[in-house]
This record gives sequence, structure tokens and C-alpha cells, in this order.
Amino acid sequence: MAMSTLVPTMRHVRGFDVVRPLSIGMLVFMMMPLVFLPLASIFIFGTSNGLDKFWAALTAPEAVFALKLSMATSFWATIFNVLFGLFAAYVLSRYNFWGRNALIVTISLPTAIPTAVAGFALLLLWGPYGTLGRFLAPQGIQVMFTAGAIILANVFVTFPLAFGVIKPVFDTMSRSLEEASATIGATRWQTFWHVTLPSLRGAIVSGALLTFARAVGEFGSTILVSGNLAGHTQTAPLYIFAKFNEGQIEAANAIAIVLALFSFLIFSVLFFARDWLDVD
Amino acid sequence: MKAKEKLIEEFKVPPPTPTAPQKATSVVGVSKRFGKTSVLENITFDVAEGEALVLLGASGSGKTTILRIIAGLEQPYTGKVILHGREVTELPARERGVGVIFQSYALFPKMTVEKNIGYGLRIRKRKRKVIRETVNELLTLVQLEEHRKKYPSQLSGGQQQRVAIARTLAYKPEVLLFDEPFGALDTQTRKRLRREIRELLRKVNVPAIFITHDQEEALELGDRVAVINKGHIEQIGTPFEIYTHPATEYVATFLGAANVLEAVVRNSGLEFGKTRIAAEFDRERFKEGTCVKIVFRPEDVFLSKSEFVKPGQHKLSTAVIEEISFVGAYERVRLRLEKNGGDECATDDQFFLTTDTPESQSVKSIIATRPKPEATSTRLRVRERVVVSITSFTVLPSSETK
Repeated sequence: MAMSTLVPTMRHVRGFDVVRPLSIGMLVFMMMPLVFLPLASIFIFGTSNGLDKFWAALTAPEAVFALKLSMATSFWATIFNVLFGLFAAYVLSRYNFWGRNALIVTISLPTAIPTAVAGFALLLLWGPYGTLGRFLAPQGIQVMFTAGAIILANVFVTFPLAFGVIKPVFDTMSRSLEEASATIGATRWQTFWHVTLPSLRGAIVSGALLTFARAVGEFGSTILVSGNLAGHTQTAPLYIFAKFNEGQIEAANAIAIVLALFSFLIFSVLFFARDWLDVD
Repeated sequence: MKAKEKLIEEFKVPPPTPTAPQKATSVVGVSKRFGKTSVLENITFDVAEGEALVLLGASGSGKTTILRIIAGLEQPYTGKVILHGREVTELPARERGVGVIFQSYALFPKMTVEKNIGYGLRIRKRKRKVIRETVNELLTLVQLEEHRKKYPSQLSGGQQQRVAIARTLAYKPEVLLFDEPFGALDTQTRKRLRREIRELLRKVNVPAIFITHDQEEALELGDRVAVINKGHIEQIGTPFEIYTHPATEYVATFLGAANVLEAVVRNSGLEFGKTRIAAEFDRERFKEGTCVKIVFRPEDVFLSKSEFVKPGQHKLSTAVIEEISFVGAYERVRLRLEKNGGDECATDDQFFLTTDTPESQSVKSIIATRPKPEATSTRLRVRERVVVSITSFTVLPSSETK
């Protein structure tokens, strides 16, 4: 009897919901060692030797090169995958054909494949002794261990991301909009440009940001296909790994801070610009 | 060179023929199949310049498919679509120049009202000045000047519909096609918009084809109405024609309420049970001894307490009143008709009421409506016995003979 009256009073103290602050506090507490503290330590260690040290580490030529290379390769991979995702989403949501589901599964596959396997697969295809590479090597064409190889790896591992965001929007888009445009006199291209594309704007932007963020951080496949040559084919994540191995923690840390801030920025845009992206 | 081409072109154009009203839209022998199921069979009709035709049918009757075939969004299996004398059956939708007002209006959500209206001209690469002027004219026509900068989601259903109409009028369509234009609106708005659209169509003089399942809407909107049932046209005619002279039982029952009774042609007249109805009907079509159906509207039923029948009224039988209800403007009476023998044509037993008393076994329910003055002058009560006569009716073949 005493218990049954006691429990409700513990949940609600004079109209105050005790569970609310307790559960919020619990959530934050659990996230502490898992997410907050690791991120915080990057910033604490990175700046512990003074900001000028941090700045020097950041502006070291190899570091700047690694960052630039990461941005450039991710940029081109993003451009390709957004265009491809648009095209694939259009075909796969507009037309029903034999093998359609098989194609959808195949496009989505790269997210499930370990990145090291992806890099290895690319090596086996394009490498000097690979299925295709062995015919290219005598012509003096070297695909692997170049910036191009990094783009290929990025394209592979981020393949389904833009597609996955764009296709659902395509699926839910009313066909009558496109039909209306056609009866008004627009060609397929005009309809796509004036009617379909504006409705996809939000999906395209978030698909691109997702792809870019993922590509910038790519490590497993890049380390296999790039050759990891400092100043030539070393991306930012590879630079962090290399410097860490050499014991230059400050150098690794500086780039780590930049990458962490960068992904934080991208996800803030994705989260807070939702309304803007889907504005009517 | 250019002048020469122009001359030749002018030469080729046949002189306009002022005689005979021009057919704005013709659908000739159109049929459509989806796989093995036939959805349209031999659909043929014309729409004259400035005319409004309503395709009336239940859902699944194929009326929307007809519209989509005219618009070029669907290909017919056989048949032709002709717009102002030009066959367009093989042309894609964008080259036909028809205006479709979709059920959900299909306004472009990321374009303002004026951008929506100007879309047809923009993709036709018209000069900006021309586009601006046309859009202004149309905004005035549909009374949406103050909403020009708004997006479709900020407009009411009626306003969206007007934008959709203006958007098609911008490129001077051959014909306007309305797909269930008032489906998503409440009754009050619906009635107002119907009047607005009629007025607008009269102003712009563009032929229109409406699609609806609402018979009241069909009668009010259409210069002519085509009743579609299971992929074929049951009847096409003016609202008055199809209401007063339905060609088939389907038309009679789909378009408002109708009572259907079986009768037989005997001695150059109609016999309902033992009652003889002396009335004119097509004796060529209905031979001696055939079973026919008598179809009549509830408002054509006259109820009296005496056996006396006025001229122009045909006495049917006596009936017992089962139910009386007031439906606002009129009184609705359900009666159990007492049929005196002669059951040879009673095929349609869905109307029969199963009661325990043997004498009321061959009995049918009919509905009568009485205008308020009559209802108040001659009060009727449930279970009362009255004499039923009808003032006007249509004779149709019994479905068995078909």
C-alpha cells in the first residue's frame, strides 16, 4: 500500500516530471565517453602546445596538400555520384523492367562492403596486373596510385548515398506534375529542368553533402589504391595516420581538428537547413 | 525567298468555311485495352466549338482513360482523335495543344502563380513582354491579381483551380479537359465554382470536356452529357434529353432516381399486371408479347386517395405507403405496389420484398416524391392505401431480351 502511493509521488513531485531531467541527464552521460570526450580530446591536445604550434602544423606543405587533395578528390566524386544518383533514381523510379530490383540492390551494395575490400577490388581491376590494368600498363596508362585512383575509390564507397536520398523523393513525386508539363507543351528535358529538378533541390543538396562528408573521411580503400605518397597521393586521413605512425602527434592532431570541424559543419547544414532546402 | 515561302503557305491554307459548326474535338471509334481487359469500346463523339461536354460515369467506367487519350497521355488501341480537323492520334501530348486541368490541379509547387501561368509561353520562348502581358490579362480574367506572387500551397482549392485554368488558357488550347474538377472540394464551394467555370468558358469560348461521377454536376455543367458505363457510351444528349428520355436502364438509374417496373406488350398496349397502360411507344421496336421495362422518375408519380385519374396520368395500381420522409424541398414516399397478377415478365427479383403474407408476395417498392404544396394539401400516412399513377415514363427493352 505504501509502495503504490510512493511510486507515483516519485514520478511526479508536485506536478514536476522527475523522469524528464533524469532521462535527459542519462542520455548526455552515456554519450560522454562515447562521443563528446573523444572529440573534445582532439581539440584539447591539438591546442595544448599553443596556437602557433597548431597553426604551424596545419600550414606545413604536406598537410595543406593532403587537405587540398582530399577536398578535390571528394569534390569530383561527389559531382559524379550526384549526377549518377539523379540519373539512376530517374530510371529506376520511372520505369519498371526486369532486373530493376537487382539493379537497386547492386547500387546499394557498396555501403555494405568493407572499404578495404572495395580498395582491394579496385586494385585487382585497375592495378598493373589487374583484369583491365594489365592491358593499360603497356600503353603507359597508370590508373592506380594516382589522384584518379582516389576519386575511383571515393566514387565506389559513396556510390549509393546520393541515390538513396534522391530516389524516395522521385518515388513520391506526383506524376501529374510531369504530365501537366507535357500537355502544356514542354519537352522531356524542359519538364525535367523546370518541374522535376526544382522539387529535387533539397534531396540533391543533402545527397551531395552526405557524399562529400563520407568521401573526405574515406580511409580504408584510399590507403590501398593511392599509394599513400606524401605530397602526391596522400589524403588528409592518410596524413593523420602517417604522422601518427611517425610519432608526430601535433601534426596529426591539427588535421584531425580540421576534419572534425568540417564534418560538424556539414551535418549542421544538413540538420538546420532542412526547412530552407525544402522551402515551397 | 522568305516572302515567297510565305505566299505559298498562305496559298495552301484552305479558305475558312463559315457554314456548318466546326467540330473542335472528335473521338472516332476509340478503344483501349490494358493487357487482355478491354477498358474502352468504340467510343465516338464530337465536341462543337464553344461547347461543354460532360463524360459522366461511375469510377472505373473508363471516362478518365478517354480524357487521357485525348490529351495524349495514353495511346488508344484503335481509333482516332481529331482536334479542329487535325488528326493527333500519333502526336505526343506536348504537340497537341490541349489544356488539361488535373484533379489535383498539378500546379508547379516551386513556381509562383504568375510563373505557373506563364509556363506555357516561357517554354515556347515567347518574348518577355508578351508573356507579361498575357499573364496580366489572365490574372485579371481569373481574378487573382493580388495573389500573383503567391505559391500554390498558399492558395485555396478554388484559387488553385483558377490558376490551373489560366495556365492552360495562356497557350490558347484546342480544348480544355477537366478531370473531376470539383472532386476535392466541399459542396458549397463546388456549386460556386461550377457557376464560375461556366461563366469563364462562355467568356473564352473554348470547347471543354468534363469528367465527373456526379450527376447533378453533369446536368448543370454540360451542354451535352455522355453517360459512360463499362467502357462504352450508353447515351449522349442534352441534359434534358438524357434525363427525360433515358436510352437505357443504366442511364435512367444512374442519372437521378428512377423506378423500374416490368410490363408486357399486349394488344398494342402495355400491361402491368392486369392494368392496361394506354400510351404511345415505339411499336416497331417492342413487338407483341415482349417483356419491357417501364422507367419513371419519382417526381412523375402521382398519388391519390380516389380512383379518379386526371388526363395525362396513367393508372398503375394501388399501393400501401411504407415510409414517408421529408427531404427539405419535397416529401419522399416509399410505397409497396400491389400487383394484380401477370408475373410472366417479372425477371428482376431484386426489388421483390419477402413478406409472410401470401397476397403481398408479388410486390415491389417504388419511390415517389411530392412537392411541398401537394404534400400539405393531401396528407398521407404510413400504411394508408393509395392509387398510384404516373404522368410520364420511358419504355425500355427488358434486360433479358437484350
